[in-house]
Amino acid sequence: MSDNDKAQADKERRKIKSAAAMRDLMLKYYTEAKQAEDTDQLVAWITSGGPVEPLILFDIIPVYPENHGAMCGASKMNVELCEVAEERGFSRDLCSYARGDIGSAITKGGPIGGLPKPDFLVCCNNICNTVFKWYEELARYFDVPLFIYDTPFVRGELPEHIADYSLRQMEEYFAFLEEVSGKEFDEERFLDVAVKSLQAIGLWSEILACNENHPAPMTCFDEFILMAPIVTLRGTQEVVDFYQVVLEEMRTRIEEGIGILPSEKYRLLWDNIPIWYEMRNLGRIFMDLETCLVADTYTSAWTFEGVNADRPVASLADAYAEVYLNINLERMADKMVSLAERFDVNGMILHSNRSCKPYSLGQYDLAREFTERTDLPTLILEADHTDSRWFNRGEAENRIRNFVETLLD
Amino acid sequence: MDTQAIVEECLELWRDPYTHLADLPDQGERPMAYFCTYVPEEILHAAGFTPVRLMGAERTITHADAHLQAYCCSLARTDLDMALAGDLDFLEGAVFVQTCDTMQRLSDIWRRNTSFSFHGDLVLPIRMGEETSLPFLVEEVRRFRKAVEDFTGEQIWDDALAESIHVYNRNRKLLERLYELRAEKPGLIDGLAATACVVAGFWMKKNKHNEMLHSLLEGLEEAGPGGDGRTPLLVSGSVCTTPDLMELLLELDADAVDDDLCCGHRYIQGLVDEGASPEEAIARRLWERVNCPAKHQCREDHADFLMHRVEESGAKGVVFFLQSFCEPHLFDIPYLRGLLQDKEVPSLVLETELQSFSRGQLRTRLQAFVETIRGI
Repeated sequence: MSDNDKAQADKERRKIKSAAAMRDLMLKYYTEAKQAEDTDQLVAWITSGGPVEPLILFDIIPVYPENHGAMCGASKMNVELCEVAEERGFSRDLCSYARGDIGSAITKGGPIGGLPKPDFLVCCNNICNTVFKWYEELARYFDVPLFIYDTPFVRGELPEHIADYSLRQMEEYFAFLEEVSGKEFDEERFLDVAVKSLQAIGLWSEILACNENHPAPMTCFDEFILMAPIVTLRGTQEVVDFYQVVLEEMRTRIEEGIGILPSEKYRLLWDNIPIWYEMRNLGRIFMDLETCLVADTYTSAWTFEGVNADRPVASLADAYAEVYLNINLERMADKMVSLAERFDVNGMILHSNRSCKPYSLGQYDLAREFTERTDLPTLILEADHTDSRWFNRGEAENRIRNFVETLLD
Repeated sequence: MDTQAIVEECLELWRDPYTHLADLPDQGERPMAYFCTYVPEEILHAAGFTPVRLMGAERTITHADAHLQAYCCSLARTDLDMALAGDLDFLEGAVFVQTCDTMQRLSDIWRRNTSFSFHGDLVLPIRMGEETSLPFLVEEVRRFRKAVEDFTGEQIWDDALAESIHVYNRNRKLLERLYELRAEKPGLIDGLAATACVVAGFWMKKNKHNEMLHSLLEGLEEAGPGGDGRTPLLVSGSVCTTPDLMELLLELDADAVDDDLCCGHRYIQGLVDEGASPEEAIARRLWERVNCPAKHQCREDHADFLMHRVEESGAKGVVFFLQSFCEPHLFDIPYLRGLLQDKEVPSLVLETELQSFSRGQLRTRLQAFVETIRGI
């Protein structure tokens, strides 16, 4: 076997096989969603932190503009969609997911020819307050109903009056879905969906935990891709089946000592949404630097505690109230430090994402606290999750290389 | 005090509020800062504080850049900068409201990096005006009252709170009368002077502001209409940190005859029901008032408010005066401009940043806009 063949075989051996199953799963999902347009099958657009389980229960297809935005970003098509929105007066300083989505709604542009038109919209502001402004615009554009699920910011423990408000809205949400779907709430089926959601979340947590291993069986860039089903379709059996396969693959890799990188010298933590249009290039740089991004604050946002069968609706409401972006900086710092310890990292890279203020404002303070508590260095990269016009590739690469060099000391 | 003297005093305050505020403790007052008008000032007032509003400042940023990225609004950046530089040491503390994402995070950053005695947080619903959110909002107001009581170590009595509510309601009524008079007698008082009289109230006890407004209105009620022939415009947005915009309009022979500003006409919307339990009544006013764009527009009330004001005031154009990076306002711009266009009302969007404020640029753009309206 030539060296070239050996390298090829090694590359093949390290490749994550279930990525193909995920592509099939997502393709099927998007095909079904697209086909549902203008049929009796209801389609709802929902924010990534929104409670999707009730939609699954009512047989409504959930569609995620943010997931679509990530696709448009990764395929380097989001800038042209943003420009469509900008021509209509939307400021370049607004979130590029929102701009791209508004652009895509108008032109049906993007890698899959746009999203199917929604019958209604569900917006939960536990990830940011940009989403409800964005969804108000969508509601005007499509002239469809908008359900706002309001999650007040939580500092410290979840206070009772927030829990009560969440529960009232969860009940209201069910009533809203009964009205739009013409179906009745079925508690038994709801429990089934909730249990499946919990199973998927449990599996996802176990998959992420596999990266505690040295060498790590995947990088968080792989997780960014593999997370699509947990975001979009949790609550379905398909997702549970899929993550079982992924978990088995990761465990096998660990047993066989297969790392995602040919050589893993350093392990880093990533903070914030990926720089979607730069994933491939950054992946190449980190591989070259023998550095594995083993964990991140983003994919673990979907590992919240699930549903308690004794109080299913209320526990679902509690889970959505306390997601990572809806809590104070101290709680975020605790999470970062805990990830650093669990995954045995050498430092952290924070993506200062001009499209996402709740994720990015406070990062300077978080980075300092992280270093104080762990004695580990940090690097802050200025970028935007899907608007590449705000990213300087050369400068970022230099800074990453310099940062990894300092880890040598 | 005659009308002119009152206006001059207010203008002076607007041009430099912070020097004046720094003197308040020597005068026996206890200044407590707030940023957003969703703060129930009545509670602070009843507890013996002087609620004072921070609206940023034109300044070079020296400290805040270590904590806030450049893509956040200059109100947050310059307010934090003043606090970190020690320029706000006269304050007892500050109260934050969950309005936008920036303010939400600024609260944590402020708390962690300053050492004021008091730090208050109010987490408000975005679904204002919808039944589901009212009990939550009432409880939040109750908790805020409790937090203030815990800080002072003294109970805020219901009758003290009722008195403060009365003072604040009177303030809103007096200011509303000022707006009415401007509509009744065009040119009676220009936008610069009138807005100065509103914003000056952010930096003094409302009791004193009420006396001032009372004298002002007495003078104005007697005066005849001005009718100066300036091009009537309406200013919409969040706050005018400095009087520059209003001054420029006058220089260009235009005038803001009304506004849709959170440091102006929106601030005084709605009264607190003096017959109901104070916390519920305070909460209900916040819940019913014209929504800030940072709240969900369930009833489209902000757009209605703007359109109504444009129609009533006879403004021939609208100037949107916004902070760069202010997402809640920026998101609504295409929609609001579309509504105005349908009514054939031209509009102009001006974005500013306090740390790099350019009067010259502002003037050039305003001049072009005013000339277009005049058909020159």
